[in-house]
Amino acid sequence: MAVDIIVPPLSQTMDSVLLVEWLKAVGDEVVKGEPLFVIETDKAHLEIEAPASGILQEVLAQAGSEVAVRSTIGVIASADEARPVSPRPEPAPEAARPASRAATAARHPAATGPGGQLLPAERQQRIFASPRARRLAQQEGVPLDEVQATGPQQMIVERDIRAYLAQRKAVPKATPVARRVAEAAGLDLATLAPLPAARITRADVEAALAAREAAAPAGVQWVDLSPTRRTIACRMAESQQAAAEVTLTRQADATELVRLREQILAELSEEDTRPTYTDFLVLIVARQLKRHPHLNAITDGERIGLSEEVHVAVAVDTERGLMAPVLRNADKKGLLQLARERAELVRRALDGIITPEELSGGTFTITNLGSLGVDAFTPIINPPQAAILGVGRICPAPAVHEGQLCIRQLMHLSLTFDHRVVDGAPAARFLGDVVQWIEKPHLIWL
Amino acid sequence: MARMSIAEALRQAIREEMRRDERVFCIGEDIGIEGGFGGAFTVTLGLSDEFGHERILDTPVSETAIAGVAIGAALAGMRPIADVQYGDFLFCMMDQLANQAAKLRYMSGGQVSVPLVMRAPVGATARGAQHAQSLEAFFCHIPGLKVVAPATAYDAKGLLKSAVRDDNPVIVFEHKLLYGSKGPRSERGALSPIGEVPEEEYLVPIGQGIVRREGKDVTIVAKLLMMYRALAAADILAEQGIEAEVIDPRTLVPLDKELILASVRKTGRLVIAEEDNLTGGWAAEIAAIVADEAFIWLDAPIKRVSAPDVPPPFAPLLEREYVPNEEKIVAAVLSLF
Amino acid sequence: MTQADTSLSPGTEAAELPDPERLLHMYRTMVLIRRHEERVNELYLQGKIPSTLHLYIGQEAVATGVCANLRPDDTVLSTHRPHGHALAKGMEPRKLIAELFARATGCCRAKGGSMHVGDVSVGMLPAIAIVGANVPIAAGVALAAKMQKTDRVAVCFFGDGAANEGAWHEGLNVAAIWDLPVIFVCENNLYAASTPVSLAFKIENIADRAAGYGMPGVVVDGNDVLAVYRASRQAIERARRGGGPTLIECKTYRLCGHSRSDPRTYRSREEEAEWQKRDPIPRFRQWLLAEQRFTAEQLDKVDQEVEETIEEAIAIASSSPEPQVAELYTGVFKDLS
Repeated sequence: MAVDIIVPPLSQTMDSVLLVEWLKAVGDEVVKGEPLFVIETDKAHLEIEAPASGILQEVLAQAGSEVAVRSTIGVIASADEARPVSPRPEPAPEAARPASRAATAARHPAATGPGGQLLPAERQQRIFASPRARRLAQQEGVPLDEVQATGPQQMIVERDIRAYLAQRKAVPKATPVARRVAEAAGLDLATLAPLPAARITRADVEAALAAREAAAPAGVQWVDLSPTRRTIACRMAESQQAAAEVTLTRQADATELVRLREQILAELSEEDTRPTYTDFLVLIVARQLKRHPHLNAITDGERIGLSEEVHVAVAVDTERGLMAPVLRNADKKGLLQLARERAELVRRALDGIITPEELSGGTFTITNLGSLGVDAFTPIINPPQAAILGVGRICPAPAVHEGQLCIRQLMHLSLTFDHRVVDGAPAARFLGDVVQWIEKPHLIWL
Repeated sequence: MARMSIAEALRQAIREEMRRDERVFCIGEDIGIEGGFGGAFTVTLGLSDEFGHERILDTPVSETAIAGVAIGAALAGMRPIADVQYGDFLFCMMDQLANQAAKLRYMSGGQVSVPLVMRAPVGATARGAQHAQSLEAFFCHIPGLKVVAPATAYDAKGLLKSAVRDDNPVIVFEHKLLYGSKGPRSERGALSPIGEVPEEEYLVPIGQGIVRREGKDVTIVAKLLMMYRALAAADILAEQGIEAEVIDPRTLVPLDKELILASVRKTGRLVIAEEDNLTGGWAAEIAAIVADEAFIWLDAPIKRVSAPDVPPPFAPLLEREYVPNEEKIVAAVLSLF
Repeated sequence: MTQADTSLSPGTEAAELPDPERLLHMYRTMVLIRRHEERVNELYLQGKIPSTLHLYIGQEAVATGVCANLRPDDTVLSTHRPHGHALAKGMEPRKLIAELFARATGCCRAKGGSMHVGDVSVGMLPAIAIVGANVPIAAGVALAAKMQKTDRVAVCFFGDGAANEGAWHEGLNVAAIWDLPVIFVCENNLYAASTPVSLAFKIENIADRAAGYGMPGVVVDGNDVLAVYRASRQAIERARRGGGPTLIECKTYRLCGHSRSDPRTYRSREEEAEWQKRDPIPRFRQWLLAEQRFTAEQLDKVDQEVEETIEEAIAIASSSPEPQVAELYTGVFKDLS
């Protein structure tokens, strides 16, 4: 019995993934459960296990290609069995009837609009689409402004809608303006491919163009954005585009916290994970979030979702870029448990084996650039969350403490919040309460 | 099954109907003269031998009288099959057809009916401007007339028999290049659509079109000679990967609209080929119907392939340019992709 | 006929006269037509009747004299001025008036109107308002009678204007060559609308044209009902015997305008007064009294009955429903038999 090798649906938001490599060659024996191929999602590399034992009879998608979730990319057959070739995986299909179209284009160059060209200015006001194409577009929810016209008189025709539908999973969505700007600049939107749920905006395109400009002079070697990079680019841009972000910065006197940490570290055994300042901050923030539910919120632009549970994401710098694994129910966990879990998540992120589930579902994010010597910065909210806390370095500095000028361990906290969700005063109160616990960590026990 | 030409099929239809119903008679010019032609295109050749000159009634050159007498006889219970030698002569009797035959039933409040058949040859055949026109559109425009246009021997016989039995005036358009007549009346450039015709009695119902060739990419609606040219065009298109569906409406009034609409819903493209002049033509009506009732199914503009808005010319070279051919149909189809 | 002629034609032999019952019926018919036309004219002026009316006032002797010789199975073909023909052929006034009122109970269900009234149940075909167009149709009706081997005849009424239509010539010619049982009755009322016959004819009598087609041509005083009766009787009997058609020219005069909008400024009041003296109804009444066929009381009684008949018909028509709007869409075609 031959078994199709299916790309598993690894994330609610992904329609396609990058097939990084096959771990077996055609003809190899495969044992059910052993790693068969590697895919890269928007968040991680994942090894996918063989669904059955047998011979890898056929491979339908090559390493390096994008493949649709749930599509068949190969076949495992029992050794004594042969099977005819399966259909091509989904992202592959070409537009219908290339032969007749080519023939037509050759004979009637004027009648058929040149493929990738911008429409003339006077046509931009109005979308020309055949009634049949409009009907199908409406049925399938296809925005006509994103469809390339190949029909007579540069009209969008049915085959264009079909081609769009076939490509929709692979091709990123973009606003019309973003598409035009990108086309004008010769920028391939696929290189910006964001989360499938999100639309590339003009800001994204301009950022990408700016980056290209900046990078252009020297002997630049262009590398396509990896899915992870695209995710980051998209989420950051989306965040800035959509949210009304305000950043509050406040200094905290961490002298007591430093002292407390040193005391705790002194008590730990060899097996215990040594908690970092980040872990302390996770603990403090998670507990404060229970008291400030409007900061522990998500939004889709239309509604605000106040989360019952507190899941704190912690930004991690990896080779593939920024990731933010999530510490679930952080408010209910003790310092050591938090430290242990966070260390494991960080390791998995750095190793590229973290799962999409471990990277999703956060209600608040902490990003700590203190170890890199940064004092303060303006963090960008990780959508759909409503706030993020940026943590600067802790360093000794002159300060007035109890009326005396002295040297204290000072740090800066930068809270960026979405003003659509929460106002400045409650955000400031939250930040104040966090600062208070940093300065007087014994209050945590109250 | 017997194999025969359209002229033979029409003759057989007339013969069978005259045998079946003594009310049926033929009236026209040169239709029963001994040593004559059997009408302009041999259709009634030899019928006067069987039915006599009372029922194969030769008239003076009086087209108005042919129509008027046929109408009067039909009003009084007869079933006349009238003919004109060339469709162009229908204009001579236009009052009788348009004002009388078509309207008497309606304006009498349904008291009378005019079960008249008027046969008329159409199509350009190197005779210049007054023996060449395709007049279908004129008659489709007049409420009260049924209009049929058979393109095969089978349809010619079956539709003519239905026309004879119809209680309304029916105009039967026949194409000069499709009769398949032999001998002195054969036409240069004529097709010979010899077709199979059943031995047994049959009728082709008025109001039913037919799909002559199935296809999924474009619908070509064409009748009479153009139907054959559309089929030839479909062959050429098939080589280029375009599958054309060719629809022969056979009856123009009442039109088998649903057949055309269903095809357009499938293919999304429509080309109409006709031999008549472009402006205000029959093709325009088909285009309007489809634009009206199947608009959202269209994937391209509707194209008409018609004769230009000039009278039919004489010179064969000019006539070849005047009458739409398969190349023009192919070009029209390709412009939709 | 330059002198006013107030008597009926002399030399009427008793054997050629209608029987008393028919004479009274003819008188009744003439009065009926006259009073009908006068009353509908009044109603028209009161706005009760849409459209226009072409009245028959002054010409009653023609329709009456001809139709007195017809059977119900004979057919009359009429013109745009048909009320007199319809009543003379036996149509019920209530059906006629209801049609003029555009009521559903009209003879043509309000789809014909004044110019197309007809009732096939009494042999009155829907009137044909295209001048001359009824002539070849009448030939066709007669052809059917002949082919069906009956002795039915067709009578075709028309005005002087029709005799210059092409259809008229074609129709007379085929009627003659085929010896058809049809009587062509020309009501020469001296004006085609406003055009006098002197501008439209080079010949003295339209009936002279009959010779050109090889049929008898007769001129009669169209205001003398007995003269019309005798001339048409001869022609009809000849036609029934298979003797072919006759053209009868009835010299007459409409004592009203061509239509309701006609101010009659093209003819003199003196001429009208001359013809008024020859009004066919007083002439016939005087003759009936002078010949002592009937008493004044008897004729007055007829007048009174006619009055009641017409008023009753008007009352019925006034209270009849208008047609349903849906009626617009029905009756164009008759279903297949």
